[in-house]
Amino acid sequence: MSTHKLTIEFIINGQKRKIETTPFTRLLDLIRDDLHLTGTKEGCGKGECGACTIIMNHQLVASCLVLAPQADGAEIITIEGLGEKGKLDPIQEAFIETGAVQCGFCTPGMVLAAKKLLEENPHPNIEEIKRGISGNLCRCTGYKKIIEAINLAAKRLTQQLEEEKGKEKNV
Amino acid sequence: MSKMYVGENIIKVDSKEKVIGKALYPDDLSFEGMLYLKIKRAVHPHAILRKLDISKAEKLPGIVKIITAADIPWVKNFGLIIKDQPVLIGIGQKMRYMGDALAIVIAENKEIASQALRLIEVEVEKLEVISDPIRAIEKDAPPIHNNGNILATHYLEKGNIEKGFAQADLIVDKEYRTSFLDHIPLQVESGLGVFDAKTEVITIWAATQWIHDTQADMAQALGLPKEKIRIIQPAIGGAFGKREDISVHLHLALAAMLTKRPVKLTYTREESMITQSKRHAFIVRAKTGATKTGYLTAWQVEVIGDTGAYASSGPAVVRKGLYHCTGPYNVPNVKGVAYTIYTNNTYAGAMRGFGTTQMAFAYESQMDILAFELGIDPVRFRLQNAYEIGSSTPNQQILNTSVGVKDTIQEAARMANWKEESR
Amino acid sequence: MKNQEGQYFSPQQIPEALEILSKYGKEIKIIAGGSDLLVQYHDRLYEIAGWLDLKNLTELKKIELNSSEVSIGAMITHSQLEKSPQIKNYFPILSRAAAEIGSPQIRNRGTIGGNIVNASPAGDLLSPLIAYEAKLVLLSSDEKNIIPAEQFFTGPKKTILKPNQLLTQIILPLPPQNCYSSWVKVGKRKALAISTIALAMVVKMSEDNQIIQGAKVCLSSIAPTPLEIKEVREEMIGKTFSQVNFTKLAQLVEDKISPIDDIRGTKEYRKEVARRIMIHCLEEIYSCWRDKCLPIN
Repeated sequence: MSTHKLTIEFIINGQKRKIETTPFTRLLDLIRDDLHLTGTKEGCGKGECGACTIIMNHQLVASCLVLAPQADGAEIITIEGLGEKGKLDPIQEAFIETGAVQCGFCTPGMVLAAKKLLEENPHPNIEEIKRGISGNLCRCTGYKKIIEAINLAAKRLTQQLEEEKGKEKNV
Repeated sequence: MSKMYVGENIIKVDSKEKVIGKALYPDDLSFEGMLYLKIKRAVHPHAILRKLDISKAEKLPGIVKIITAADIPWVKNFGLIIKDQPVLIGIGQKMRYMGDALAIVIAENKEIASQALRLIEVEVEKLEVISDPIRAIEKDAPPIHNNGNILATHYLEKGNIEKGFAQADLIVDKEYRTSFLDHIPLQVESGLGVFDAKTEVITIWAATQWIHDTQADMAQALGLPKEKIRIIQPAIGGAFGKREDISVHLHLALAAMLTKRPVKLTYTREESMITQSKRHAFIVRAKTGATKTGYLTAWQVEVIGDTGAYASSGPAVVRKGLYHCTGPYNVPNVKGVAYTIYTNNTYAGAMRGFGTTQMAFAYESQMDILAFELGIDPVRFRLQNAYEIGSSTPNQQILNTSVGVKDTIQEAARMANWKEESR
Repeated sequence: MKNQEGQYFSPQQIPEALEILSKYGKEIKIIAGGSDLLVQYHDRLYEIAGWLDLKNLTELKKIELNSSEVSIGAMITHSQLEKSPQIKNYFPILSRAAAEIGSPQIRNRGTIGGNIVNASPAGDLLSPLIAYEAKLVLLSSDEKNIIPAEQFFTGPKKTILKPNQLLTQIILPLPPQNCYSSWVKVGKRKALAISTIALAMVVKMSEDNQIIQGAKVCLSSIAPTPLEIKEVREEMIGKTFSQVNFTKLAQLVEDKISPIDDIRGTKEYRKEVARRIMIHCLEEIYSCWRDKCLPIN
């Protein structure tokens, strides 16, 4: 029975949080029900669909397969934590521009998978993109547009990085 | 011609809120003091309910109420085309598939509701389970519904089938079977219900592909005027035909009415697959005649569509499949019959293509076999039989504009680097 | 973190973990990555009496290499196995098998220890581990046991692990200079597929790289446990590659297995595919051997 409470601490989207939970609560439920960050979705509850994808300790994970206490001390990014100062992340922008969003239910997980992929591999080829999002299902079958979006975001991020480098040189 | 929108890249109005995770889907919504529902489902695919004991489950701390058929005698069946689906199975009534609902469990949280499901005791009198439509139409098969297991029969006739076969140099006679498919929209069925005691209006936040039909169907099932039912569509995580049927709606409405508190019901993925509609499994028996020179002369089909336990869109889907029996190919003589059959499988309804994809498997396979047997290249064989302006379909509609099938076949062959086979 | 009820333990040290197991081993569940356990207990987590979470046991998160063996901590994830230079270098098919598990999300959480203890007949790492002659370190508060991996599994989801024991390390003997391996997993799709059948093969050659001195073929998803076809060893050892009949060996594999029909494949399909992937693996190994023997000028 889940009446047993414990307190955990973690950083989520840059904010330090201390919260009471139980050893039988999934991290997904903690994020959705207790923190009201409902951008993280549940599609299957078994790690098959990727809708609950978050970035935990710099790694892509399925939050339905993590116990809340396992996140004690972790650093977590959910879809709500992307972008800076009210500006969208370039990946989010690319998803909008290429029409990579249909029903939108896979989108938060897809965007985070893309984020992680591009962090680790800024110039992925199509096969690498496919592998990077292989844990995320899109049932509207919008994969072509999603791959296009990730490609576009990769190009923009590279360009951005080069421009920043250029500026540094000028300074 | 205006170029606005066509061929243009238009930014979707809701894409921003979706990429930032702010779009609200049913399960993302909540109300203060909200209760959670779970549904006790059938324990056998075909059985008469003899006993339903909720006493142990009711005693579980945190259980607010458990609704059974005995609590709602005024409620009627529902359904898209035929009202054959019960809201809750009562004592002495039949469960017809594993998705049939026996009780609505209402609890303070999801976990207690789940635990209570396991405490409900059910006794049934088992009947023969019919999982094969061929068995369903045998004379001694037990009827799943009162009027027997053949729900609908549709016929199709064009030209003279005997004459067509007489003109044929080659006749190919084959049987094709397709399987059930789930749409698996990424969001499972989910919704919220609120009953306003003052106005007696029930508001439901849940997906439907037929908002007014769902409203009307709910109203007739609950014995209420339509204006007492309000349905609000939140963002929807995919549909593909699966959300044409009522899912959480009636159970939410009843729970909200009887508890006077906001209620939420979200299926598990397993529950979604067991309970809600499927693409029909088809058996297609196709007999096709063609001349030595590769022209189709006759096409006869028998279609058996397994519509599962309830009608849903079944009669329309299977009929639509029948009408597409020859695909995009000219056939002067066509004869067909289609049966929509009840079984104890999960009911089948609408899904992308509405019966035509199953037929495509049959007719394109027939075309390949015919081309092979005739020694004609399969692309050329298709092209010389394909529809063009002026062609007539099996149900004798004359196509008078925008017939793109030949271009499509040619483009597909080009993209596949198709080289004509010489045999 | 404090836990008043004693329901969730996350010790920092192995002895502490063993102590907890000796007290509560029968009731509580050991959780590593959770990628199998939380699937099994989906929607009924409340049935679990308590957890021993291994996440703080840093001792179990190391890959250590010495002159004769590699020791892999049970908490090493599939992603780490996939990317580890030592594993890639010495045990390439273990790295490949890890790379084909589930999805990025699963590989980042799932662990080698979990894959072993879960003892699924389809466990992706099990065949390569047995083919590489892995040994498992089982610790309890009173003893340490080191056993060959193939003796660990007794049935589907069944092992010899006692409630007071913890799998801490997987020890792999360093292969000789001339060692060749191949791995094939057949599933319904590339990602998130539970294997329909998988085959791991490791061949060890003499110092002059001419005589076969060791040959291990292990299959999964064809029996209640991962299964080594020991007869292959007898057919290959002491011979040169030119003396080995691939077709005959593949037929041997097909004949020696008796798989069952299930949702992922029929008995007939599995037997047929076993034969074909055996040929594939032999050919891959042979071509690696040939490339090494006859370097392209």
